[in-house]
Amino acid sequence: MAAVTLKNVVKRFGVFEIVHGANIDVNDGEFVVFVGPSGCGKSTLLRMIAGLEDISGGEIAIGGKLVNDVEPADRGIAMVFQSYALYPHMSVEQNLSFGLRMNGNPKADTERRVKRAAEILRIAELMKRRPRQLSGGQRQRVAIGRAIVREPQVFLFDEPLSNLDAELRVQMRVEISRLHKELGVTMIYVTHDQTEAMTLADRIVVLNAGNIEQIGAPLDLYDDPANRFVAGFVGSPKMNFLAAQVVGNDGNATVVELANHGGARLRKPLSGAPPAVGAEVVLGVRPEHFFEAGEGDCDIAVKADVAEHLGSVSYIYANAGPEELIIEREASRQRATGDHMVVSIKAGQSLLFDKSGARIR
Amino acid sequence: MRYQNATAYRFLAPYLLIFSIFWLWPIISSFLISFQATRTVPWRFAPTFNWGRLIGDPAFFNALKNTLLILVIQVPVMITLAIVMAVLLNSPLLKARGLFRFAFFAPVVVGEVAYSAVFRLMFNLDYGIINKLLNSVGLPRIDWFSNVTPAMAVIMIAVSWRWAGYNAIILLAGLQSIPQDVYEAATLDRVSKLKQFFYITLPLLKPIIVFCAVLSIIGTMQLFTEPFLITERGGPGGGTETLGLLLYRQGFKSLNFGYASAIAYTMAGLAIAISLVQLWLTRDPK
Repeated sequence: MAAVTLKNVVKRFGVFEIVHGANIDVNDGEFVVFVGPSGCGKSTLLRMIAGLEDISGGEIAIGGKLVNDVEPADRGIAMVFQSYALYPHMSVEQNLSFGLRMNGNPKADTERRVKRAAEILRIAELMKRRPRQLSGGQRQRVAIGRAIVREPQVFLFDEPLSNLDAELRVQMRVEISRLHKELGVTMIYVTHDQTEAMTLADRIVVLNAGNIEQIGAPLDLYDDPANRFVAGFVGSPKMNFLAAQVVGNDGNATVVELANHGGARLRKPLSGAPPAVGAEVVLGVRPEHFFEAGEGDCDIAVKADVAEHLGSVSYIYANAGPEELIIEREASRQRATGDHMVVSIKAGQSLLFDKSGARIR
Repeated sequence: MRYQNATAYRFLAPYLLIFSIFWLWPIISSFLISFQATRTVPWRFAPTFNWGRLIGDPAFFNALKNTLLILVIQVPVMITLAIVMAVLLNSPLLKARGLFRFAFFAPVVVGEVAYSAVFRLMFNLDYGIINKLLNSVGLPRIDWFSNVTPAMAVIMIAVSWRWAGYNAIILLAGLQSIPQDVYEAATLDRVSKLKQFFYITLPLLKPIIVFCAVLSIIGTMQLFTEPFLITERGGPGGGTETLGLLLYRQGFKSLNFGYASAIAYTMAGLAIAISLVQLWLTRDPK
């Protein structure tokens, strides 16, 4: 087991800087997920930790040892690739044991490790098959098994579930979570799927355009995002953003007027300095934080456009001028398309952002 | 549906007509001719005349021996060379990749007569550059075209030079289809580049190597230009005469079409048999 530390890590491809000075401390035994949209640099960061990409600047340490110039095989890591990267001409057993055999590992130890990995992942009956004779989920298990036999200090996962169907993804997610508990080793996991990040991670690193936007526990990011990007990225369905303007400041609270909701006003208490009167701001409200009319601090009228009934809850896609809002409702209170409805916002369950996207607290 | 089929066949008709006249009919006709005595006028049906002669003809066995010798030595050497060339072309360290790719492929588009003439000059006893090079490193010059072994060597070198690049380009396509992350996984498994080549690249390239080998076997079985032009009609003394050359000599010098047809069918049969054995030996285990 080992901690992983990234200090001011920079990656450039030619003149293009892809990662702009990343600082991350992954604790020993922790499950950390790098999440962000495509092209944000999360996979590049993981590949730099693995040693598959050179570092243009900064330092990476694994288990307290600087590994900038250490060969990938000597970093004590194992990686699971998005495409599985199994050796197609070898059986499952050969895939698992290949690295050990090539390095002259004693036969008995190789067999022990392969057997253990097969038992952990329940793939013992597949040992004689070739990768092409396996389903997507089975291939992914073998790929994870190949990582397990290395008995690494750190597991790296590069979008390992993105090639699987939705049902299998949920199943494998649980398996990876179980594996982390069973092995207790440090795991770094890259995904663009925020649901995977929320369900798997001890801590999440949210990346955007090569910058770290926020690092924190899943629910901390959900409840207390540092900025509009994190607020919008974490949570499904996404947070609603309502254009607003500061119309007055009242002690330690600011009063904002919603731009597209007929002059509806919300008084929002703040702990810090309030924004200037007249400033354009954005009010963030999660779909589940729209209440029945009169229950909150500010009522707004919307027209239900599309309703998705998922059984336990319904999501109403509603229009209010140019803004489309997603409103969560209990199934028993579902609305039909075309309904006019009034929903209420609570000051304590909404977030305020300035025009640049920074949080106003 | 039937109308659509008829339209399709009308479009296919020109091709089918040309195919039937210039391909299908000669294939059938030559098979029938191989059972006829064609040195008499008129030709007469004599089922064992040509095939019987084939079994006892020392010229046929000489040509067969020469062809198989070239096949056994030249094909593996050329395929090995092509693999090395393909790996070099695929290397990220290589600069001017396009230039090398063109250079490796260029021999295929050079005219056969021109390249044969150049090879004759290069291996000329008195003025050839090869003998000059041998002399310059203190080795005696070789009379390439008066002795069988050096003459065979020249043919093998020439054929390899002409076709190695062609095979390298096919193999390069195969190399490029191997996913990069398989090598990355092996790198993380501490597998050296050399072991990666032998344990990953070669096994994954096997279907392409087999394809190239089968193409080369078929090509070598039909070998004609090099022994005809470079070693002057299979010289010295028939020492480099191949089946293709024997066929030509029988069919178009002696006008013995029956015997030439029997040789042609033997060549085709051998090429198919050797290719099938090759495919069987290199099949994927179930």
